[in-house]
Amino acid sequence: MAEERRFRSASGAPIALRCRQHSASCRELAVRGPRLQLRSLSAATSAVWLAAYGLFALSENSMVLSAAIFITLIGLIIYLHFVKIDQESLLVIGSLGIQVTSSYASGKESTTFIEMGQVKDVVINEAIHMQKVIYYLCILLQDPEDPQGVSEVVPLFQSSKPRLDCLIEVYKSCQEILEQRKTASQ
Amino acid sequence: NSPAPLPERAIYGFALFLGSWFGFILYLIWAYIPETWLFSLGLTYWPQKYWAVALPVYLLVAVGLGYILLFGINMMSTAPLNSTHNITDNFAKKQQQKKFQEEAIPALRDIPISEVNRMFFLPEK
Repeated sequence: MAEERRFRSASGAPIALRCRQHSASCRELAVRGPRLQLRSLSAATSAVWLAAYGLFALSENSMVLSAAIFITLIGLIIYLHFVKIDQESLLVIGSLGIQVTSSYASGKESTTFIEMGQVKDVVINEAIHMQKVIYYLCILLQDPEDPQGVSEVVPLFQSSKPRLDCLIEVYKSCQEILEQRKTASQ
Repeated sequence: NSPAPLPERAIYGFALFLGSWFGFILYLIWAYIPETWLFSLGLTYWPQKYWAVALPVYLLVAVGLGYILLFGINMMSTAPLNSTHNITDNFAKKQQQKKFQEEAIPALRDIPISEVNRMFFLPEK
C-alpha cells in the first residue's frame, strides 16, 4: 500500500513522502522533490544568452554566441546528471540492513547499503547548516570497540531536506522496524 | 581580578595616555612638516612620507576584510552534518554515571541522542 503525503522542505519547496510497506519487517520511504520548473530553466537560459548577446555587442566576436549555446547545453546536462536529485529513498529491511538511494533527474541512481550490524540507531538531530539550524535524519553507525560510542554519522535526505513533521513520520516508521531486531535478539 | 581602580592601574593608564599623545604628535610632525625643515634640524632618519598615508589605508582595509574573514572562519569551523561533533563530544564520552537514588534529584548528565529522540518523537501510551 502506497500513500503519498505532501510536506515542505527546509527552504519551503513542496516535497512528497511516499511510504510503502513491503512486509512486516521491510519498509520503503521515498521523498520526492519538486521537478525542474520550466520557468527557472527558461529564466537561466535567457539570462545566459542575454549576457552573451551583450558581450557580442561589445566585442563583435561571434564566437561568444556559440560559446554561450555550448555552455547552456553542457551546463544543463551536468546539472541534470550530477546536481538535481529527484527522489531520495530509504529501504529498511529488518534483519538485513538499510539501503539509501538517490535518483538524479537524468535517470542516474546512486545507492549505499549499510548492514544492520553496523547500524546503532536512526535519529533526528539538529545542527547548524549555512546560517540556519535544521533538523535532519541520520543513521548512527556502531563503533566496533565501544558499544556506547558512535563511529560515524550518515545524514539522510540531504538534498530534499524535509521539515520536522515529515522527519517524525520517517523516524516512527524506521523505529518500528528497528525495535523488532531488539525483540528478535532477546 | 576585580576591575576596581588601583594605584598601579592609574600609573599604567597615565603612561599609556602620555605615550599615545606623544605617538600622535610625532605622526603629525612626520606627515606634515616638509623634509627640508626636518633635515635642517638634523633629524634625517625618517621612513618615506608615502607610508604616512599608506599605513592608515592598509589598516582600514584590513579592518573591513576582517569582518569578511571572521564570517568565513566561523562558517569553516562549523561541523559538517556528517560529523560526530553534532552528536557528542569528549566531555560527554568521559562522563561518570552516578547511581540512581530513590527520592533524590537525578544527577546532571548528557543524555544520549537516541534516548532524547524516543522521548520527543515516540509518544508512550
